[in-house]
Amino acid sequence: MSADQIISWLAATLEWGGPLILVSIGEVFAERSGVIDVGIEGIMLCGALVGVAISFLTGNVLLASIGGMFLGFVLGTAFAYLTVTRKTNQVVTGLMFNLAALGGTNLVFALLSATRSHRVTTFPDLFPASFGSIPIIGPVLFKQPVITWIALILPFIAGWVLYHTDWGLNVRAVGDNPKAAATAGLPVIKLKYQAVILSGIFAALGGVALTLGEVGYFASGGLTAGRGFIVLAAVVVGGWDPLKIALACLVFGAADAAQLRMQTGGSIIPYQFLQMLPYLLTLAALAGLVGRTRPPKTWGAPYDPADV
Amino acid sequence: MMKTKKHPEFFALPGLGQLALSGARPLIGIFLGLLAGAGLIELSGVNPLAAYAAMLNGAIGSPLAISNVLVSASPLLLTGVGVAIGIKAGLWNIGAEGYMYMGALGAGAVGIVPLPLPPIVHIILALLAGAVVAGLWGLVPAYLRAFKGVNEVVTTIMMNYVAQYFTSWMVHEPQPMAEPGAFFPMSRKLVSSAQLPILMPGSSLHPGFIIGIAACILFYLAIRFTPFGFRTRMLGANPEASRYAGVNVKRQILFVLLIGALMGGVAGAVEVMGLKLRVYQDFVSGAGFEGVAVALLAAGNPLGVIASALFFGVLKAGGAAMSVSTGVGGPMTIVIEALCVIFVIAVGYGERKRLERADKPEKEDEEVIQHVG
Repeated sequence: MSADQIISWLAATLEWGGPLILVSIGEVFAERSGVIDVGIEGIMLCGALVGVAISFLTGNVLLASIGGMFLGFVLGTAFAYLTVTRKTNQVVTGLMFNLAALGGTNLVFALLSATRSHRVTTFPDLFPASFGSIPIIGPVLFKQPVITWIALILPFIAGWVLYHTDWGLNVRAVGDNPKAAATAGLPVIKLKYQAVILSGIFAALGGVALTLGEVGYFASGGLTAGRGFIVLAAVVVGGWDPLKIALACLVFGAADAAQLRMQTGGSIIPYQFLQMLPYLLTLAALAGLVGRTRPPKTWGAPYDPADV
Repeated sequence: MMKTKKHPEFFALPGLGQLALSGARPLIGIFLGLLAGAGLIELSGVNPLAAYAAMLNGAIGSPLAISNVLVSASPLLLTGVGVAIGIKAGLWNIGAEGYMYMGALGAGAVGIVPLPLPPIVHIILALLAGAVVAGLWGLVPAYLRAFKGVNEVVTTIMMNYVAQYFTSWMVHEPQPMAEPGAFFPMSRKLVSSAQLPILMPGSSLHPGFIIGIAACILFYLAIRFTPFGFRTRMLGANPEASRYAGVNVKRQILFVLLIGALMGGVAGAVEVMGLKLRVYQDFVSGAGFEGVAVALLAAGNPLGVIASALFFGVLKAGGAAMSVSTGVGGPMTIVIEALCVIFVIAVGYGERKRLERADKPEKEDEEVIQHVG
């Protein structure tokens, strides 16, 4: 690999890893509260489409982000209603969300056929173009759109919120022992709602970042291509810690960027093995082969105040 | 006044009303799903009644249409019943997508080789190969769940993707299974002795649905009347109690998850041997997840799987006809499927269990209690 190829691969790592990190920011809170939001794949897809649509109509990426996050809020609330209030199975509900989102975005996109031939406004670069000419770090870091930088900073804030604020402590308490939390007077249901809604908002923002970060297009047939599930993998591999998860997202982003290059360039390692990497690492982490991971104690289980 | 009071009173009856309500809940959910779908069809500028009429006509309007429904339902029957057994035992086996890929690879590997065998032997060998490969694949999450206590939902989801990419690799060129010079990654074609027979000339009706319905009936009987089925239900009703009653819980979990893997493997094998005739890259594309939805719609009852798989078959086959004749986009079918399931679980879960527990124990639970006591 030449130096140029390595630089473009590193830049693509941030470009692909950024949306994953954004999605993971919300998911970690949902899972810490005990709810596995499997619907992030579908919510991300919806966010990606809404982002492109609003950017196409208004040319304003801020409006596009807000619009996407609002849709994420709505879908997150729906997911919370089903899984927390109605106590439906979280995984099945999530899978149905993904199925509905896949069909729904295809339908809506067919109506928005004008965006096909038109690259919509994307996020601007944070730094002036002249920074991009700095060798190596210029193209890798300073040619990144502003949303990538937001994605790189957010895990630190999320870590602070999770470990150093009352709200973060409460969310963790709800996920580890909802009965004790309820006995201590915490509004368990409300906290779960908040955490799940957060996962919806950030999943949608991750989708907006995916389409408006660099590409500026939407494509039918599942543009997110399983990235929501890669985030689920990253959350497990990262041990439910925002910073470690962000690191895992970057590693998976690097693998993604590498496999795309291998598909076109050819290589000794089959590119499919790189595509498997996030999932294999997750299996290894869950099986206890790499380090010790400890899921939130009520991970994936519904909470029923009437249970003794 | 009288009219509005009538229904709540009817439902408040302890025996009949509750029975009617629990039976009606999935139907109410499906109705709401179809209603929401009608709203979406209306939004896209087509008369919903005309669209649903076209769908129904495309599903049961002719023998050919019915054969399409049966072909669409085949993999759903097989994956659905595998997932349903898991639900009975309180296990969520989401790996059907992966089992189908591995089953297809196993059947494909045996099916592309020209063996000097009569078709019936070749077909059985290929089906067995599919089941065995998928079973070995399913051993991983089953072992992790049974002996290490690792959440089966997440492992099976992750393994779906591993299987998908592994299949993609297997049907890409230097691999011996791959079709040389193909424009899309696919395996070589199955030799004719390994292809399932076509039951109706001019259609693609293969015997997959018969295998599927037979499996549903078989597992219904097994769950209802055998010690294995009893242990499975007991595990689902109360894992602690079954441990005290001397059930080998780990072995039971292993078996139940393996059954899901075997059925998924047969589903993948049948799909390739009866319909696709090759293993294509990404060919499952959500059919395994639909199997989960089918099992859920049936609330884990193997006989209910027959009904819900056929319902999905109607949606799929009819949906294709609907999109041709009315111009409603094909993806609408997927949306309606998902909406139906979401409404069914939103209407029917959670509360119902609690009601039954509080009022009178389910019949199955009663048996469990007697045996434990």
